[in-house]
Amino acid sequence: MTKTHSQIETLLAALLQRGVNRIGEILIRGEFELLHHADADRSDLQFFNNPEDAREIAKYDESGNFRPLKTAPNLRCGWKLVLRDLHELREALDCFYPAMPGVLFAHECSALEVVDLRETLNRQTGMYAVTKKISNKQANELIAGFCRSDNGCLKTILWRIDANTPVTSLPPCKFDPAANQLGQSVLAIPLLCHEACNLLVAAARNKVKSE
Amino acid sequence: MLSKPDSALVIVGHGSTVNPDSATPTFAHADEIKRRGVFGEVVCAFWKEEPSLRQVLYTVESDDVYVVPNFISEGYFTQKVIPRELDVTGKVTFRRTRKIKYCEPVGNHPRMTELLLHRAAEVAPGISPRETSLLIIGHGTSLNENSGAAVKEQVQRIAARGDYAEVFGVFMEEEPFVTDWRKIASQPHIVAVPFFVSDGLHSYQDIPVLLGIEAEPTQAASKMDVFRRNPYRVAGRSLFYASAIGTEPLFADVILDQVAAFDSEFAA
Ligand code: SF4
Repeated sequence: MTKTHSQIETLLAALLQRGVNRIGEILIRGEFELLHHADADRSDLQFFNNPEDAREIAKYDESGNFRPLKTAPNLRCGWKLVLRDLHELREALDCFYPAMPGVLFAHECSALEVVDLRETLNRQTGMYAVTKKISNKQANELIAGFCRSDNGCLKTILWRIDANTPVTSLPPCKFDPAANQLGQSVLAIPLLCHEACNLLVAAARNKVKSE
Repeated sequence: MLSKPDSALVIVGHGSTVNPDSATPTFAHADEIKRRGVFGEVVCAFWKEEPSLRQVLYTVESDDVYVVPNFISEGYFTQKVIPRELDVTGKVTFRRTRKIKYCEPVGNHPRMTELLLHRAAEVAPGISPRETSLLIIGHGTSLNENSGAAVKEQVQRIAARGDYAEVFGVFMEEEPFVTDWRKIASQPHIVAVPFFVSDGLHSYQDIPVLLGIEAEPTQAASKMDVFRRNPYRVAGRSLFYASAIGTEPLFADVILDQVAAFDSEFAA
């Protein structure tokens, strides 16, 4: 039961039409061939044609380690995923970069509710309740190491530490949805972080406990 | 037959940052329900993986949204974490144009008993239940997950049917412990079914050691090997070890049953 005119799919189509054919480490060619951008010139790629294959491709990095954070810049190379239509494209992107098309759509409609780090941490209970104790300085240090685009995460951060405290430990481009987080000049569909992920919360727990 | 082309289904799993198999059954059930075309949209969300509970409602476009926790029991996650993270306040939450319906976890469904029996029969083909001790393995816990209570309830129901010579609940963290099976089970055949939503370190490593079918918690070359070598000869019995109940394809039906149960209770 394919919804042919999902608004999220329509947004993706509009972006592609404007020539924005990169998302994270993925290059989208024609209608629709997906591959790792570093594989653009390779002809020996393993062929896939089911959107759900994206989930398996995205599961492990090059060395076979599980990738709990799908926007980490370690998507493996060597594959090519050919999809039939926009709906399948969207499904595949939701496996490669879960929730990212929908979050971007909400952002475009001004419906995305950005949640500052303090609010996220203050909400935690159980083993993560302790994260409330993190200082702004510790938070900045943690984010600098954990969220950095070159070896942490390719999302663009939209939140602050709190209403009066921006994150100062990463360069301004990390907070700019128009910037390609791979540091390349080509335009990319942004991957948006509207609220700190559970991995950062877990890392905040370790930081608080170890200091 | 359930048909909800204008509704979205969100299946919530725990997920894991270290175990690649944790989310697999939740995705498999979602894929199966998608294939059946029951819902306009079917998505998964996880506490520890992506899409997260904080992201998932942005990924669906329907105004009518059912949320089914793929959890074995009612507890900390289903009562506290999931509602908080999804920002739902009760069984039905209205948000902007949206109606979010929070269903019971799969483990609560009466059909779970049937699924456990199905899995037990499947893993030990041709073995008479009359000469079999059935072990339902639970975590049992400090985690406030009531998983122990859920196992005990299933044990009671299965025992009441009288198909198996004996039925026991055994636990990783409470008595009777998994290792105690030798003391309590008297039959020549033992069938052990983990009452977990997914196969993880517990079912690949910890439980096999506790049951005595593996000497050490080593990672088998293929993890599934542990389920392929049935029956094991342990302590003079033949022991059949099943993979976690949550990997059972019939779970997809139970998820849909929880949606139907919600509708009949709250007159959709
Ligand atoms: S908090 Fe956001 S930017 Fe940082 S690692 Fe998590 S998802 Fe990426």
